[in-house]
Amino acid sequence: MPGEEQGSIASPGTVSARHPHGTPQKSPNMGATMKRIFSSMADGKGFDVALIVLPFAFLFVMAGLPLIYNVVMSFQEVDMFSLGTFARPFVGFKNYVTLFSQPETWPILKNTAIFVVASIAGQFIVGFSLALFFWTNFPGASWLRGLFLVSWVMPGLVVGAIWNWILSGDFGVLNYLLNALGIIDSNIFWRSDPNYSLWAVIIANIWLGTSFNMILLSVGLSAIPKDLFEAAELDGANAFQRFTTITLPMMRSTIGAIISLGLIFTLQQFDLFAAITSGGPNNSSNVTQYWAWDLSFRQYDFAQGATISVVMIVFVMIAAIVYVRSTRHEVRG
Amino acid sequence: MSEASKHRLMLAIACILAAIYLFPLYWMYVTSLKSGSAMFATPPGLFPSDPQWSVYTYVWETRDMGRYMWNSLVIAAGSVALIIFLGTGCAYVLARYRNRWVDVGLFLILMLQVLPASLLITPIFVGFSQLGLLSTPRTAVIIAIAAKSMPFYVVLVRSTFMSVPMELEEAALVDGNSRIGAFFNIVLPLARNGILVSGILIFMQAFGEFVYSKSMIQNIELQPASVGLNSFMGPNTNEWNNILAYASMYVTPILAIFVLLQRRIVSGLTSGALK
Repeated sequence: MPGEEQGSIASPGTVSARHPHGTPQKSPNMGATMKRIFSSMADGKGFDVALIVLPFAFLFVMAGLPLIYNVVMSFQEVDMFSLGTFARPFVGFKNYVTLFSQPETWPILKNTAIFVVASIAGQFIVGFSLALFFWTNFPGASWLRGLFLVSWVMPGLVVGAIWNWILSGDFGVLNYLLNALGIIDSNIFWRSDPNYSLWAVIIANIWLGTSFNMILLSVGLSAIPKDLFEAAELDGANAFQRFTTITLPMMRSTIGAIISLGLIFTLQQFDLFAAITSGGPNNSSNVTQYWAWDLSFRQYDFAQGATISVVMIVFVMIAAIVYVRSTRHEVRG
Repeated sequence: MSEASKHRLMLAIACILAAIYLFPLYWMYVTSLKSGSAMFATPPGLFPSDPQWSVYTYVWETRDMGRYMWNSLVIAAGSVALIIFLGTGCAYVLARYRNRWVDVGLFLILMLQVLPASLLITPIFVGFSQLGLLSTPRTAVIIAIAAKSMPFYVVLVRSTFMSVPMELEEAALVDGNSRIGAFFNIVLPLARNGILVSGILIFMQAFGEFVYSKSMIQNIELQPASVGLNSFMGPNTNEWNNILAYASMYVTPILAIFVLLQRRIVSGLTSGALK
């Protein structure tokens, strides 16, 4: 690394000039140490250390400690009165036992699984089809393709508000469309019918995430060498064979990364639940990430909120490890 | 079929696909302009026959949107400033070296990136209330957003720094620059575009942030527009034209930034997420 060798050559004079009052009152030995530290800060490895220590300390305090605190709270009894103190009674696994003996826990976990699988499948299938279509590279393709990404940069609450109206039972445009096409003959009450409420959020979430899938898949597609397809075409492979024998295998690591990113993003989805169904009616559209918040901030049961968070964070971490592994060769550079 | 007409056909299909995909956005603007009765008409009109432009000033004033938007702006700007200040140097160091420590640091960063905000808010809320941070709730939200979004920023900006040729920095060092000098005069200016685009992405995210603000800001005077929109949407509301007018005014600045900088944002995003 160039900086290390340079550190000893570059003039320490500039550094001591910059800190003229820092050293005199200290012992000469101490002064030399200080000088060395300052010179290393300006010119050696110390510069890198200085740049990286502050952000990592910040992340540790603001993201690492809450994570640990979350685990601690899940083993404690927390109520409104003990909220301000650290000394709360420890109750062992009681919160976990309570959590899994509640009647709503398993339906909510099942909802989470349905939400995750259906959202990822929908986003991926629609996103991949669109990516394949735009891959043909006609003029204007990349600009139009980028335009799709607006769904992803919009505030989640705005997306929720729009779909809330589109999915409205009596006057929603989706019901009108389905009626006109003859698919349904009576209005579906997407948000208030327990059979459909989860799907209302899934539809909105598929719309929101499709564009991100599509953009990343486009990047993966454009990285496949074109001559592979030309060779296969000369060998007489038809479009479907080319897709299954070249496109899919070449896209394997991209697809792995996108599925695990999809899992991560889907488990982060909160705004749509808050905007469209609030987890109702009767928990029929509740998922763990909304439930954890609801327990803490609606029912003030912080211990249960922390407990369900711990369970879910373990899941998310596993997904993250899969993601890191599938992009590892690129992460390492 | 000739190449040109084939291209024209593809472009036409692409436009139709884009129109279908972006229909919800169009529906937001159209509904916001409809009168109370036109909104509930069957069949729903595709165009507002009698556009009610006054709805925007009406909603802006009655819902105190100026205050909400200002709070959103303060929170987004504060988060971006904090993230750029802390994250840029971190991304630089992680791009410059390749050893075990960098691998560990990157792994930790990626792990933090994936934690859902709605799951972390419980310990953050309890911890912040014990530290007394909740008495300045907007600052608390800014800190929480910075901790949440900084990993994403670091990953994006790191890939920008990796594309800055190392030789340029080495040349500056040989010419007698200190590391600080080389960093500020050579490396940062070369990475300016990537930093800008990543900053804008973070800004757009923070501008729409909801979970932290909803949980930590009780005082309505300090709440951002996302929380305002949430409280506007009651369970049995029927003033959808007003709600969607609110949503339009909230989202239009973001859409404008996005359309203007679309190409850069898309390429910045894709370089960071996969590479």
